[in-house]
Amino acid sequence: MDKKPEVVIFPKNPSKTYGLMELIRTRSFQIEKGPDNTVTSWPHLLFREMILFMFVFIVLMIISILFNAPLEEQANPSNTPNPAKSPWYFLGLQEMLSWAHPFWGGIFAPTVVTIILILAPYFDRSQKGVGVWFAPERKIANLLFTILVVLAVGLIVIGEFFRGPNWQLFWPWNMPSPH
Amino acid sequence: MKKKNTIADLLFNNRFWKSVFRHDYPDNDLSRSEAMTSNLFLHIQSVKVHTNTIRPGYTLGLGLISFYLFIILTITGVLLMFYYIPSIERAYNDMKDLEFAVSYGIILRNLHRWGAHGMVAFVFFHMCRVFYTGGYKQPREFNWGIGIVLLILTLFLSLTGYLLPWDQLAFWAITIVANLIGTSPPESILGASLRYIVVGGREVGQNALIRFYVMHVIVLPLVAAVLIGVHFWRIRKDGGISRPAEE
Repeated sequence: MDKKPEVVIFPKNPSKTYGLMELIRTRSFQIEKGPDNTVTSWPHLLFREMILFMFVFIVLMIISILFNAPLEEQANPSNTPNPAKSPWYFLGLQEMLSWAHPFWGGIFAPTVVTIILILAPYFDRSQKGVGVWFAPERKIANLLFTILVVLAVGLIVIGEFFRGPNWQLFWPWNMPSPH
Repeated sequence: MKKKNTIADLLFNNRFWKSVFRHDYPDNDLSRSEAMTSNLFLHIQSVKVHTNTIRPGYTLGLGLISFYLFIILTITGVLLMFYYIPSIERAYNDMKDLEFAVSYGIILRNLHRWGAHGMVAFVFFHMCRVFYTGGYKQPREFNWGIGIVLLILTLFLSLTGYLLPWDQLAFWAITIVANLIGTSPPESILGASLRYIVVGGREVGQNALIRFYVMHVIVLPLVAAVLIGVHFWRIRKDGGISRPAEE
């Protein structure tokens, strides 16, 4: 294409900080869905955020009306419950405590997992499959993470539902009463 | 905005509205962008977002749900502080009072308790979402790391709150965790000292209660709030929520 200076639409003049991009007869070519596939945050994002808040609050309120938070007898250092259990999110750790020296399951394992998770993006550097759920290009990474999730959740489930007095294994329907 | 003498016009096109929001009702591109940029609380979000960001099937709203639970927990937590004294003589009776004497006290406590469990769960779900969509990758590596720290903070917030009712459940759960901390090697030096610092003595007692209380109501929420701010700010700086590459 021949360049004639007087008809160049996008003059590349380094001394100019602005230039004529395009002329269109409309309000704005960004309305609702612009060429870069964006929408204005108000109202599209903010209304969704507000609706989600109302939904979260209503659901939490319904749960709080229906179910009371647990409250046992007053703390008594001379009366040890059997089994004594930590909060559910630490039951995976407590489960591992019963396998070997507590340090390995309780301190070492969670520290190593945390460090691996934080460093994961520095090792897993491929940009393929970003922005897609369960992208087939990321099969190995997703598989490894799933193993971690299944282990974490599985150990919590064992600790919560399958461990009874003296930390023995029981079926949940055969669980002896704790007292 | 021209005067149209409608109810909306009466509400939004007046000096009071303008003095508060500093722009017209957001019904055109200019005022819609002003709605975001001229508002302290909204301007951490960009004026425009990619359509993938508002697709519910992509984020499932998990991070936002975690944040909302944090807000609800902060508000209910402050209200609970009016009724709760962190003393081993009074704490348990204060729980009973919340249940039987304070108007709607049991609802307040239930909101806080179930909200806390929910926050632990939803922060974890949010982490899973970010991993399975590849959102942790460059340029969002650092924000992923902040997210992991926020997950740990959430666990410790929940744990420190667990002791406060001072019932059997609370006391023995914390005793287990304290003993766990005591196994950090070398046990006789590091483990024992760490346990002593956390519990404030040899057994879980008044010192442990006040330590967990202060961590629970001031230190950890403050650190979490700051990191949540950084986390949100970095979403924007790193180019918004992750999305597929454009064709």
